[in-house]
Amino acid sequence: MNSEVEARLWRALQDVEDPEIPISVVGMGLIVSLAYRPEERAVDLELTFTAMGCPAMDFIQDDIRERLLQEPEVGDVRIEVVWDPVWTRSRIREDARATMRSLGIVA
Amino acid sequence: MTPTEMTAEELAPRTEDEVRAHLAAGKLVEGLPHMSPEYLKGIRRILTVSADTELVSAPAYLRAAQHAPALNNFGSAISICQDELAHAHIGYRLLGDLGVDMPRLIYEREPAAFKYPYAFDVPLDSWHELVMANTLYDQAGFVLLSDVHRSSTFGPWKRALAKVDKEETFHLRHGRTWVKKLCADPEEKRRIQAAADWMFILTLEWFGLPDERKRHGIQLEYGFKGLSNDELRQEWMAAVVPFMDEVGIDVPAHHDAEAGRYVIDCPFPARFDSEEKRWRLEDGAITWDEVMTRWKGRGPMNEEYVARLQKGYKGRKRNVARRSEPTGTA
Repeated sequence: MNSEVEARLWRALQDVEDPEIPISVVGMGLIVSLAYRPEERAVDLELTFTAMGCPAMDFIQDDIRERLLQEPEVGDVRIEVVWDPVWTRSRIREDARATMRSLGIVA
Repeated sequence: MTPTEMTAEELAPRTEDEVRAHLAAGKLVEGLPHMSPEYLKGIRRILTVSADTELVSAPAYLRAAQHAPALNNFGSAISICQDELAHAHIGYRLLGDLGVDMPRLIYEREPAAFKYPYAFDVPLDSWHELVMANTLYDQAGFVLLSDVHRSSTFGPWKRALAKVDKEETFHLRHGRTWVKKLCADPEEKRRIQAAADWMFILTLEWFGLPDERKRHGIQLEYGFKGLSNDELRQEWMAAVVPFMDEVGIDVPAHHDAEAGRYVIDCPFPARFDSEEKRWRLEDGAITWDEVMTRWKGRGPMNEEYVARLQKGYKGRKRNVARRSEPTGTA
């Protein structure tokens, strides 16, 4: 049951795009971990960014919160920004990589 | 002879009829071999305005960025400045490809010769004014560049603008998110209103002379723009006025449902006091000739911003010249 909810939350996160390129935060490899706590109706996320100076940090977190709170089982979204593992291009998913190439962005 | 020493007539081999036929066949202009002298002069003009506007927004926004309420906000504002420099670089690099002496254009032009809108000559002195600039000025830039992206027949710029538009969207979001947040507090909202009071009308001017005074002719034919000045002004108001209504900020414009267009509710154009950052609406409307006199005279920050942008280049040039001077010892 928990795994079904978590699978749906992962799919929901695919709706959240990087503010500057049309790739989801999942495709970009920004989501390090996701755990649903049914007793608290809360989602615990570990999130990283491509750079510590990423100007879109607040926007991305706001968008993630807004999207996940649309899910009926979710009453709270708790985000922890982590820098380990270090984000590298290897975290970009293959389908996202193809989209970036089509936009002329080297990935 | 290098390209920068050649005239437009020497660089652009086609006739106007050949360019028109090329465009009528559904092709884009990809470089000098496809251009006529008129096309080359026109695209250079519009690229210069665009590049100058992006360039000056960097020192203008940097001035206000130091008022950021927190470190990560300062980082976001600096990132916006970085984007603007990159957008300027695209324009100047394309001008370089079209035979313009880039270093001379950027670093050796007199401040008053830069072609960015007058609005940037008025200093941004607070975080409130920065985010209002993102909301109003970046929206104006977005309207103008989206129009160019849609209508442009110059392939290299048309393709580059896809990415510029996406990055400008981030600037707009930055402005609107902050305006909404600040309007939730009465004192912050008062300061946002004060910023809108001088910046809204200044941005209305951004779109230039009204259509009855402006012949667009070749600009529209060659795709240098798609919409007229008044149409672009309407598009900007359509984007900005509903948002201002939503957050409760008063602006001197409203949508007239019967006329199907936005109407400006104050004397326009009007006299602007750049020292006080205040519109002297009590004087009534002025003429566009008076507006152009103000534009040509530039505003309070013109010399300082251009000096800042040119400082490194000029300093290095002086040092190189000094090192090349004979020492004069026997």
